[in-house]
Amino acid sequence: MKIGIPTSLLYYYYYPFWKTMFDELKIEIVLSKTTSKYIVNKGIEYSVPEICVPIKVFTGHVVSIIEDVDYVFVPRMVCVLKNEYFCPKFMGLPDMIKYTVPGAINKVLSPKITSDSDNISNPKFYSEMRSILGIGSWELQKALKKAQREWEKFRQLSKDGYVLSDALDIFEGKEIADKNILNKGDITIGLLGYVYDIYDNFVSMNIIEKLKEMNVNIRTFEMLDDSVMNNSIEFMKKRLFWTFSNKLLGAGYYYYDQPNVDGLIHVTAFGCGPDSMIGKMLEMESNTYNKPFMTIRIDEHSGESHLQTRAEAFIDMIRRKKNQADGVSIDENNLSIHGNNAGL
Amino acid sequence: MKITFPYMGTTLVYSKLIELLGHEAVSPPKPSQRTIDLGVKYSPEFACFPMKVIMGSYVEALENGAEVIITSGGHGPCRAGFYGEMHHRILQNLGYDVDILVFDSIKRDFKSFIYNVKKLKGDKSWQSVWKILKLTYKIAVQVDEFEIQLQTIRAYEISKGSCNKVWDKIQQIYKKVFTEKDLSEAKKESQKLIDNIPYKIVPEEKKIRIGIVGEIYVVMESSVNMKMEEVLGNYGCEVHRGHYLSGWIETHMIPKWFSRSREKEIEKKGEKYIEIKIGGHAKETMGHIVDYHEQGFDAIIHLMPFGCLPELVSQSIMPKLMEDTGIHVLTIALDEQAGIANNLTRIEAFLDLVRNSKEKKSSKVS
Repeated sequence: MKIGIPTSLLYYYYYPFWKTMFDELKIEIVLSKTTSKYIVNKGIEYSVPEICVPIKVFTGHVVSIIEDVDYVFVPRMVCVLKNEYFCPKFMGLPDMIKYTVPGAINKVLSPKITSDSDNISNPKFYSEMRSILGIGSWELQKALKKAQREWEKFRQLSKDGYVLSDALDIFEGKEIADKNILNKGDITIGLLGYVYDIYDNFVSMNIIEKLKEMNVNIRTFEMLDDSVMNNSIEFMKKRLFWTFSNKLLGAGYYYYDQPNVDGLIHVTAFGCGPDSMIGKMLEMESNTYNKPFMTIRIDEHSGESHLQTRAEAFIDMIRRKKNQADGVSIDENNLSIHGNNAGL
Repeated sequence: MKITFPYMGTTLVYSKLIELLGHEAVSPPKPSQRTIDLGVKYSPEFACFPMKVIMGSYVEALENGAEVIITSGGHGPCRAGFYGEMHHRILQNLGYDVDILVFDSIKRDFKSFIYNVKKLKGDKSWQSVWKILKLTYKIAVQVDEFEIQLQTIRAYEISKGSCNKVWDKIQQIYKKVFTEKDLSEAKKESQKLIDNIPYKIVPEEKKIRIGIVGEIYVVMESSVNMKMEEVLGNYGCEVHRGHYLSGWIETHMIPKWFSRSREKEIEKKGEKYIEIKIGGHAKETMGHIVDYHEQGFDAIIHLMPFGCLPELVSQSIMPKLMEDTGIHVLTIALDEQAGIANNLTRIEAFLDLVRNSKEKKSSKVS
C-alpha cells in the first residue's frame, strides 16, 4: 500500500505530522517531486484557467504521482479554529481533485479536519480513512499522538526563528548550512504570505534565499505564537473568516508595530481571494505605521529577474532610509552611475 | 434616517421596508458604467466584482445624501461576508462618515441582529414592525411570482419589450402598496397586465428552458450580468433563476420550521459533487443544476464573478456534472472588463448547440 503526498499547499506546514502518522502506521508514503515546470504545466492542463496558482500546482503534483500510488492524501481542511474556516478552495479541494484529475475518482483519501485548534490529531477526523486503510483505532490513536508530538517539536523550531524550509530540513535530520542565520543581517523584513506560496521554491522563485543573500533577517507569521497574532487583531469588529489570513494579518500588524522590523513584503498569488482583502488592509496601514510595504504578486508566468529587481530595489531603499536615519547622509545627486547604487 | 442599501435585483422591497419603518430610503441609482468605474477605483484590485459594484453604489448613494447603509452579512468562508467591514474601512478612508448596519443571519448572530432591528424600528411598536415585515415579505413573494411569469412569457411575446414595460409598471404599482388591502388589489391589477400581454403559441418540443445559476449578486442584478434574462428571453428562451429575493428571505430570515424553502433539498442534490458547504453558493449551484435537469430544463447558464472562490470550485467540477447529466452548461465569468459582443456571440453559439441537440433528441424519439 502506497500513499502519495503532494508536496504542495499545507504540506509545508503539516508534513512532519503526516509523515510521522503514516510511519507509525507502517504505511509507505510517496512524496511528489519538488515543483517543476512540468508539474506546473500538468496542473494548468487539468484545472480551470482562472483558479489561483497554488491550486494549479497542487493539481499538477497530484497528476504527477497518481499512477504510482494507491491513494493520494488530500485532506479536506475545513477549520482549525472555531468559527473560522479555510478558503473555499481548500474545503472543496478533494471534490475538485476527484473530478478533474483523471483516475483520481476512487483514489482520494480525504480526512475531514474540523478542529477547533491547530491540533489536528483527533482520531474522529480520520475515521473514514481508517476504514479505507483498515487500521485499528488503537493503532491510529497512538500514531496520531506521536505525530502531534513531532509536529509540536517542528512548530517550536519555527518559533525559535527558523524559516520553514530550514525547519523541514532539521526535521528530516539534514544539516542546514548556516545555523546562525537568524540575526545576522542588518535589515529585518516581515515576509508575509501563505506557506505554499513562500516555501514553494518554484512559485516564489526562492525568495527566502534571495533575501538571505541580501543580508536580510526574515520574520514570518509561523514564527509567532498564536496568541501574539490574535492580540494584534483583537480590535477588529468582525474578524476574517480564514484562519491563515487572520494569522497573516495579525503578523502584519505585529511586525508593523515592532521597531526592529524595517519593512514588510507581502507575497500573494494572482487571484487569491482572501489576500485581496488583507493586502488592501496592510497597504492602508503602511501609512499609519510609516513603514515600507511591498506586494509581490506571483502566478505561473512570473519571471525571476523581475522578482530579483523588485526585491533588491526594496531592500536598497530600506537600507538607505536606515542609513539616513542613522545620520549617514548621502547626497542624492552624488551617486556613482556605475555598479552598486545602493547608496552605501 | 436616510438609509441606503446595495442595489441587487429590484430594489422595490428594500425601499418599501425602509419607508414603512418611517425612514427615508435613498436608493442608489441602477449600476451604470460610472458606478462600476467608481467601485473599481476604490476597491482592492483583486476583490470580487460584486464588491466593486456595491462599493460604487454606496459612493453614489452617499453623494445623494444617504447617512446609513444597511446590508446583509454572511458567515463565510466566502468573501461576501466581509464586504460590510471592508466597505466601511474604505469609505472612512475616503472621508465619508457613515454607519453600516450589517444584518448577519439571525441564526448566527442573534444579538447584533436584534440591536440592528431596534435601531431601525425607532419608536414603532413591535407589533407594527411585525406587520410591516409580513407585508414586505408578501410583496417580495408576489413580485417574484410575477417576475417568474414574465421570464416565461418574454420568450414568446409578440411585440418585443412588452414584458419589460409590464415589469416596470408592476414595480410602480407595488410602490403604492401600504396596506394588506392595497396588496391584494395590486396583485389583481398586475396579474391582469400580464394576462394582457399578447404572445405566440409555441409547441412544447420547440420550447427551450434555461436555468441561470451561480453567485447570487451577478445572477440577480441585470446591470452587471449584461441583462442575461432579457437577452435569453429575446432569443426565445424561457428563463428561471436559481436565486430570488423571497427565496433568500425564506432561507436566511425565517426560522426553519416555518420556512418553505427548498434549499435543503437542493443542497442535498449537490452533495454528490461538493460534499460540504464551502461558502457562497457553490453547493447550491450544483444542486440547482441537478434540480433543473430533473425538471427537464434544456441548458444552464452559470454566472460567476471573476475569481469567485466558491464558484471556481463548482466550475472545476462542472465538466463531470455535464458528463453525468448530459445537460449543457455555459460558464460566464463577469467583471469590469465586460465585452458584450463577445458574450452575445458565446450565448448565441451556445443556444444553437442546445437547439440542435434538442431537435436531434426529439427526432430520434419520433
